Amino acid sequence: MSLFNSLSVSASGMTAQRQRAEVLVENIANADTTRTAGGGPYRRQDVVFEAQPVGQPFSSVLQAQLDNQPQGVAISEMVVDQSEPDRRYLPGHPDADKDGYVLFPKMNPAEDMVDLMSASRSYQANVSAISAVKDMINRSMDLFR
Amino acid sequence: MAAPIAPISLPRPIDPIVLPNAAAPASGFHNVLANAISQVVQSGDKADAAVSNYLAGGNQELHSTILATQNASLNFELLLQVRNKVVAAYDEIMKMQI
Amino acid sequence: MLDPVSTQLDRYLTLVSQRQKLVASNIANADTPGYQTQDIDFEAQLRAALQAPDSAAPAPPIASAVPGLRVKNDGNNVDLDREARLLSENALRFNMATNFLRSQLKDLHMAIQGGSA
Repeated sequence: MSLFNSLSVSASGMTAQRQRAEVLVENIANADTTRTAGGGPYRRQDVVFEAQPVGQPFSSVLQAQLDNQPQGVAISEMVVDQSEPDRRYLPGHPDADKDGYVLFPKMNPAEDMVDLMSASRSYQANVSAISAVKDMINRSMDLFR
Repeated sequence: MAAPIAPISLPRPIDPIVLPNAAAPASGFHNVLANAISQVVQSGDKADAAVSNYLAGGNQELHSTILATQNASLNFELLLQVRNKVVAAYDEIMKMQI
Repeated sequence: MLDPVSTQLDRYLTLVSQRQKLVASNIANADTPGYQTQDIDFEAQLRAALQAPDSAAPAPPIASAVPGLRVKNDGNNVDLDREARLLSENALRFNMATNFLRSQLKDLHMAIQGGSA
């Protein structure tokens, strides 16, 4: 099991962090969305990461079972926030109900911003890992005179 | 009357000439060559096995595979140089006037 | 042809590679809930590998959880600073060992050529 598998692991990390960032950006952009296609205000989404072995090229399934595989990562599920939306009193709003209340998404933009920065940092760390491993592979090949 | 003539007996046969021990000595050149050849074959087989193992996704690292092939390559190179020297020496001898 | 030092360098490279693979895995799972940082006991494995006879095939090292790391709220204990440091360290070690090997191979090559091309 050579270093090439490690590239797949880091690539899976990049994919997962990118998808996490996309979801966070969607949350931030929809902080004030009162009307969605499915009816009701926008509901915040969260991703759940899960460690998963990444597939190896050229390798047999049996070998994969025997080795202690380094784990990649993947998004196992997307959790939609089920808590009650915020109610604000805005009688003139087009989406106001009969009492004049509008349902707004229950958001925590500060937390989402911090999460976005964390996703960016983790993404960068995965990029560094790919770069370091690629360098090691190239140096191995330098052993050919 | 004269005494009967004794028959002539054949002379004792001459012992065949025995050369000094003609077997190659333990550290002779012949052994060096044989060793080099067997090393080339062995390391070549190991390198082939390493490459096959690596390509089939076995538990082998890239650098180990490369080192095995370099090992085989160096052994082969040595054999090649030895052979060149032997041929050169042979040519020299053939050029000598007897 | 390649002497015992090359065999030891080969094993050293293998150990460093395996450690680096675990570092990459830790980085990929830096935000996975419940994930524990994995590492190998590098010094112990290195000592064992250097003392093993040349013909022995090295046993694959066991990855184990690293003690003493701060656990975050979601049960994950990956420290990106630690992993980034190890990433550089392993890369430098690998670099050093391949340089040694290259110079050894070059010397052997020159010796065989006898100083003339």
